[in-house]
Amino acid sequence: MDVNRSPLPSKVEAFFLGMAGLACFVAIWVAVSISGLVPRQFLPTPWEVALRTFNLLWEPFAGASLPVHLARSFERFASGFTLAAAVGVPLGLLMGWFRWLDDMITPVFDGLRFISPIAWVPFAALWFGTGLGGPILIIFSGAFPPGLINAYRGARFVDRTYIEAAQMLGTGNLRTIVQVLLPASFPAIVAGLRIGAGLGWQSLVGAELIVASAGVGYMMVQGQSNISTRTVMAGMIAIGVVGLVIDVALRQLEAFVRRRRGLR
Amino acid sequence: MSAIQFKDASRLFERDGKTFPALENVNLTVADKEFVALVGPSGCGKTTCLRMAAGFEVPTAGRVLVGGIQVPGPGPDRAVVFQQFALFPWKSVEDNIAFGLRNKNMPAEERRRRVSGVIKLMGLESYETAFPHQLSGGMQQRVAIARAYVLDPQVLLMDEPFGALDAQTRIVMQEELVRIARVNPRTVLFITHAVEEAVYLADRVAVMTRRPGRIKEILDVRAIRAAENWDRHERVEDVMDLESFVHLRTHIWRLLRDEKFALDG
Amino acid sequence: MHISRRLAIGTATIVTLLVLWPVLTLVTGTIDTGRFPSPIQFWQSLRQIVTVGYADGTLWQHAIQSLKLVVMGFVVAVSFGIPLGLLMGWSRRAEAFINPVFLLIRPIPPLAWIPLAILWLGLGDAAKIMVIFFAAFVPAVINTFTGIRMIEPHIIEAARMLGTGRSRLVMEVLVPGAAPMIFTGLRLSLQASWTTLVAAELVGAITGLGRVLNVAQTDIYPAMVLVGMIAVGVLGWATTRVLVSIELRLMPWLSVRA
Repeated sequence: MDVNRSPLPSKVEAFFLGMAGLACFVAIWVAVSISGLVPRQFLPTPWEVALRTFNLLWEPFAGASLPVHLARSFERFASGFTLAAAVGVPLGLLMGWFRWLDDMITPVFDGLRFISPIAWVPFAALWFGTGLGGPILIIFSGAFPPGLINAYRGARFVDRTYIEAAQMLGTGNLRTIVQVLLPASFPAIVAGLRIGAGLGWQSLVGAELIVASAGVGYMMVQGQSNISTRTVMAGMIAIGVVGLVIDVALRQLEAFVRRRRGLR
Repeated sequence: MSAIQFKDASRLFERDGKTFPALENVNLTVADKEFVALVGPSGCGKTTCLRMAAGFEVPTAGRVLVGGIQVPGPGPDRAVVFQQFALFPWKSVEDNIAFGLRNKNMPAEERRRRVSGVIKLMGLESYETAFPHQLSGGMQQRVAIARAYVLDPQVLLMDEPFGALDAQTRIVMQEELVRIARVNPRTVLFITHAVEEAVYLADRVAVMTRRPGRIKEILDVRAIRAAENWDRHERVEDVMDLESFVHLRTHIWRLLRDEKFALDG
Repeated sequence: MHISRRLAIGTATIVTLLVLWPVLTLVTGTIDTGRFPSPIQFWQSLRQIVTVGYADGTLWQHAIQSLKLVVMGFVVAVSFGIPLGLLMGWSRRAEAFINPVFLLIRPIPPLAWIPLAILWLGLGDAAKIMVIFFAAFVPAVINTFTGIRMIEPHIIEAARMLGTGRSRLVMEVLVPGAAPMIFTGLRLSLQASWTTLVAAELVGAITGLGRVLNVAQTDIYPAMVLVGMIAVGVLGWATTRVLVSIELRLMPWLSVRA
């Protein structure tokens, strides 16, 4: 907003302000921790958390080291997410193309929408125990809606002229969907997948807190019962980092796709 | 008292990390209660000049003064009519117009009087409670003008205020503005693309060069208007038919054509 | 005509599913009622929890408990989130100062706060509210921030030209200008609040719908699980409707357009 009387902060100024903000945050954390206002057990200092995180890289806790837990979590995430994408995107495209399919499925979808993915955990536990199926179901229920919705929107609102061109050229339904709708909605689909990945990762964490025998969420629950705040925080950091990496990677993909398309 | 002075005003702007000069050494004075129209090719910086006088932008070199004081920032003493209207979409027509008066803590009775006066002036009766999106572009523009007029400002800064209007409404508004300016003169800086409009309305017309903008030439219309007695005609089209008018207009066109087709240095 | 066709097909689908439900569970036995309840089992569980109660409370008691926590967490989160978003949207300096900390907190999924919350605050209400706070806070800030940034700059300039004082600028220009996006943020915050609350109650609670789900799961009582899920869905839908009606009431200029 150019309208402030004072000029916009320069990039340098912004950087230093940011550092100052971070410094304040850390300072408050350290102060509260060291002063003993909160018992050390419950609020370790930042370096204690960092040390713990580092430790966990090879030292096992609750059955495995942090990287192994992360790998297990990511494995589930990848399976659930792939399934959600493999089902959601084609279904969304089909719904966007075949009106009757849309009319059929959307009411059901709208009804189920209000049940958050987490509420599926008990059924997941009942049906799959602590097996792989449980978390996959949860991740699926989180990642599926955005993928579906975006594929649907992409297909439904694709520029009419592309469809008309395809029809003029005598293209059949299936081919139109695969070779016209899919490429045309690609940017929207990637955006939907990015959002779905975020939701899927989050839902996974939730699921692991409740029903798991390995994985980062499980590690955190064990940390909590052992009153090892450091471990819990280490878990939070790990989850945050991986989630960030997934998001950034997909954002890059999204930007790449948009650039190839000549969209802004 | 409320003269606008541009003294060697320059302004750089930045895009993609590079700086470009938008204005270079603009020297222009709009005398107290004088009506000056600013014309020039697209992108020459006319709007930037207006924005500096308004206080939305600060010159990177030189000075911009209003009433002898360097412009501190925006304020109701220099009312602006924006090209894009800039009405508050969530307020009704009358609330939009009254807003500035409320900021001045004007008592409700007087406020109401002034607002209804200006609504009548702008032909907005029966639209008081409408929201901007329910109005046509032309009507929104009228509300924007009303909002500025109601402040009774010393200085009026108008950026293509009639741009959104259709030809007929435009003529009506031009005639109205002339009438208002005669009755209640104030310092006006008026930006337009339409040369005829500039010559019709203004006391002087300042022609700018292309970017980086500078004042190319200033034409004294008032003298010609007085000498040729343009005011004997009430209708815009009659005035625009006069030889002296056409001559002036053509001269300005030629100046602009120079700028439009000048080869890149 | 198009609308009624949609309605017809939609209704037909739902009716078909409702018919298939008893058929597949009771008649053909295709669905094992040990895994998914039949309509009769569902109805019996519903009656049970409404009259006698389940997991130490009736449906009403559990629902009120969950609703209470969601509302409290949501209100607190939004009361902090919207002003912060306004500040960061308006002041580039504030944005530069706060952003890094915000970026640090943001990637941590709200549910990941649950173990920490339980560690710090135990299994009671406070821990749930803390987690809901973190979940609902982020969308409120981000959307309010975006809402401010999306206000057409000329409108802000016009407001300053008209000599608007600071508080009036916030109340009559910034907030109304950002309102549509603020409400989008509120809807997302509400959604996040429900999800987080259910998860937190699933992990550890004494009463609440999540607790019902948890106990039903341990008891291997799928019918009650279904009751719990539907109860959560209904409350989620109802609270969203309330929010939407507030939105429509507060923003007449938007609904006039619609």
